[in-house]
Amino acid sequence: MSILGLVVLVCFAYLIFVNLIAVVFLAAGGIENTIRRHDDDSTDYETLGESRFTIPVSVIVAAYDEGAVIEATVSSFLGFDYPEFEVVVVNDGSSDDTLERLREGFDLAPYEVFARHVFPTKPVRGIYRSAHHPNLIVVDKENGGKADAWNAALNVARYRYVCGVDADTVFDPKALLQVMRFPMTDPGRVIGVTSQIATAAEPEMVLAEPPGRRRIDRSLLGVYQHLDFVRAFLNNRLAWSRWGFMMCSPGGFQIWRRDVLEEVGGYSTTFTCEDIELTFRIHEKFRREGRDYTIHCLPDTVGVTEGPDAVGKLVSQRERWQRVINETVVHYRRMWFNPRYGSVGMVGAPFYLLTEVLSPVIEVLGLASLAAAAILGVFDWQVFLVVLAAMAFTHAALTAGAVLLDDMQSRMYRKRDLARILVLAPFDMLLYRPIIAYARFKGSWGFLRGDKAWHKFERNVRAPA
Amino acid sequence: VVDDLVLRIAVAVLVVAFAGWVALSLAVVLGRARYDRRMRRPCSDALSPGTARRLTRRIRSRPRTEWGRWRRVTALQRLERAHHPAVPQLVRVVLDDEDTRIAAAALRTLGDLGDDWAIDILIDALRRGHGSRSRIAAELEALAPAPGPRLIPLLRDWNPVVRFWGATLLRPYDGVADSTLIELTWDPDPNVRAAVVETLGSRSGPAVGTALLARLDDNAWFVRVHAARAAGHVVGADAAPSLVRLLADERWWVRTAAKDALRGLGPDAIPSLLSVLAHDDLFARNGAAEVLQDVGFVDFLALDNPSSPLLERIYAAGGERFRIATEARIEDAVEQGAAAA
Repeated sequence: MSILGLVVLVCFAYLIFVNLIAVVFLAAGGIENTIRRHDDDSTDYETLGESRFTIPVSVIVAAYDEGAVIEATVSSFLGFDYPEFEVVVVNDGSSDDTLERLREGFDLAPYEVFARHVFPTKPVRGIYRSAHHPNLIVVDKENGGKADAWNAALNVARYRYVCGVDADTVFDPKALLQVMRFPMTDPGRVIGVTSQIATAAEPEMVLAEPPGRRRIDRSLLGVYQHLDFVRAFLNNRLAWSRWGFMMCSPGGFQIWRRDVLEEVGGYSTTFTCEDIELTFRIHEKFRREGRDYTIHCLPDTVGVTEGPDAVGKLVSQRERWQRVINETVVHYRRMWFNPRYGSVGMVGAPFYLLTEVLSPVIEVLGLASLAAAAILGVFDWQVFLVVLAAMAFTHAALTAGAVLLDDMQSRMYRKRDLARILVLAPFDMLLYRPIIAYARFKGSWGFLRGDKAWHKFERNVRAPA
Repeated sequence: VVDDLVLRIAVAVLVVAFAGWVALSLAVVLGRARYDRRMRRPCSDALSPGTARRLTRRIRSRPRTEWGRWRRVTALQRLERAHHPAVPQLVRVVLDDEDTRIAAAALRTLGDLGDDWAIDILIDALRRGHGSRSRIAAELEALAPAPGPRLIPLLRDWNPVVRFWGATLLRPYDGVADSTLIELTWDPDPNVRAAVVETLGSRSGPAVGTALLARLDDNAWFVRVHAARAAGHVVGADAAPSLVRLLADERWWVRTAAKDALRGLGPDAIPSLLSVLAHDDLFARNGAAEVLQDVGFVDFLALDNPSSPLLERIYAAGGERFRIATEARIEDAVEQGAAAA
């Protein structure tokens, strides 16, 4: 057997193995989804929404150059249907008109608020309060990155649970109530919760429609990003949540118990992004100390975040995600296959290593060696095409499974949009995966070079109202 | 050999994956169509005798899987919607489930029923800790026949958690068990004291005021937090001298609660706040300046008499950023006033 043939076989075996894991996760996600649906149906949201026993939440937002969307998103945060909450927006030294938009949109006036300095941050320039929204506080500070901004918000935040959200995400008014039902039931053990977020080029337009009539982006890039998000949550995170190793609470929507954040030292500014690293750090500490805790992921779509509308922007975003995954997984390498960390050490961290850190290399190596083998005559072209088709349909089947779980849970999108994305699913391998593979490869290369820049993509251009 | 092996495996994977994709896609579209059709049909909760018997059997069964336990809850909810006479008895069966989530789901059924007997079951569940106590409390408070005096025995329970919930739930019932609550401000458990103090914050009278002021010096910081808020509400301006003392408390949350309470007193708190401007403790000075700002006194002085020595003292207590924020506010106010004129 030639070396090329061996490489092809190893890569092929890897793909089959990874897809088998994905099938197992999808099955576990299906069970979890059904249980959550029953749980959701049997929860008395009406009573909880008016109850004084609902735990107050501080919603913290980091905004850097978000002038285009900030008014819409902060309005969506203020519109949460929840008994007691505050919104702390941190303008992280934006170079655009973010602060001016906030000042005008919410009638802000400068006030001094003497907050604790539990977490060191870049200097705060001023604090603003709204004349119309007593639960809105805006902190203006020098630029220090998202983690630094969130730490500044934590210093000002005053409630027991903290909900970190992205400034480009629009939420369903019921989002907080839906998710906080878990901490309310078991505040001693539930230290973190997250839920599914969808993506769209213009999130505010999606949520303007009632459930059942919501649209999925018409552009191919929008469709494939949507499918990517649905898979990430329903193929993976639900199963992780079920088995006690929810490895990544996404930055777009993450609820943490405040004392846990204080205990672990807040958000880290030494990594490219903060969300996955924080989740790993909390697992590492709690598992090492043998503490009883849970971090949940729910299947409910609580909000819609802005997805890039151009390939260049998407590459920039995914390249950053890949870098932070590599940084985090490598930093916490002591957890790999370490039984002391339970399911996190034996399944969660190795899963990330295998499917996220190593996959960019194996994906590229696999495709290149298969193509080379076909060109050099080691393989027949037919074999090459059959393997590609098998990969495409495996992916499509997993995607269809995730869409099924999503629709059973939310009944959110139009039927014809669902049919369209299901038809497009097999072409993901041809039209979308190469872009993502390139971005991930670039991210891995950036990680090796020690790049830690954010590379924020420009906001999508909105059609005039 | 490799060629053949890869081809065989790939074809097998392709066949299975293709079939899976088709089947799951059809499940999405057909499932959704069925759901849409069902939604269009008029809703009916009526059950045939056969279905009711089947659901009753399901509730009485002892399922071993989580899935089976949730099916019990669903069955209970369907029977409850149909007002089946066996529901009160069946609720007790489900409440005994060891899984607290299942018990919590059964509690919701009780809340929906809203009957008099539901109160007894909920109070009993609260005592025994069947299901999340906060959920039970939420349902009890939302019930149409208010539990009121039936909560009083909870105050004498041996379990401090039950006493805590008893005290908490009595808050909306003005005048009920006031003397017992005042006695419980000396309960050995700090959580009970905190709950009692919070409930007394919604009452009135000199005895309540005295009890609350005494708790401002409680050993437990969270009792002081609740006492500060409650004292501000019940005692009013007379509590201000005691509350400003808490601006220098060692715990941040107590200082924050004291600020909230003083803010709530409005201009009545000003004399006491001014006395703290030269306090040794930086937090106390900062806190006093912040409350003076929030009740509008700083803006008033800055507009009325910008060169006032008192304003300078407040600026000194608040620091440079405090002064800048005030000046910016005043500038905006002057500009707006000019524009309006």
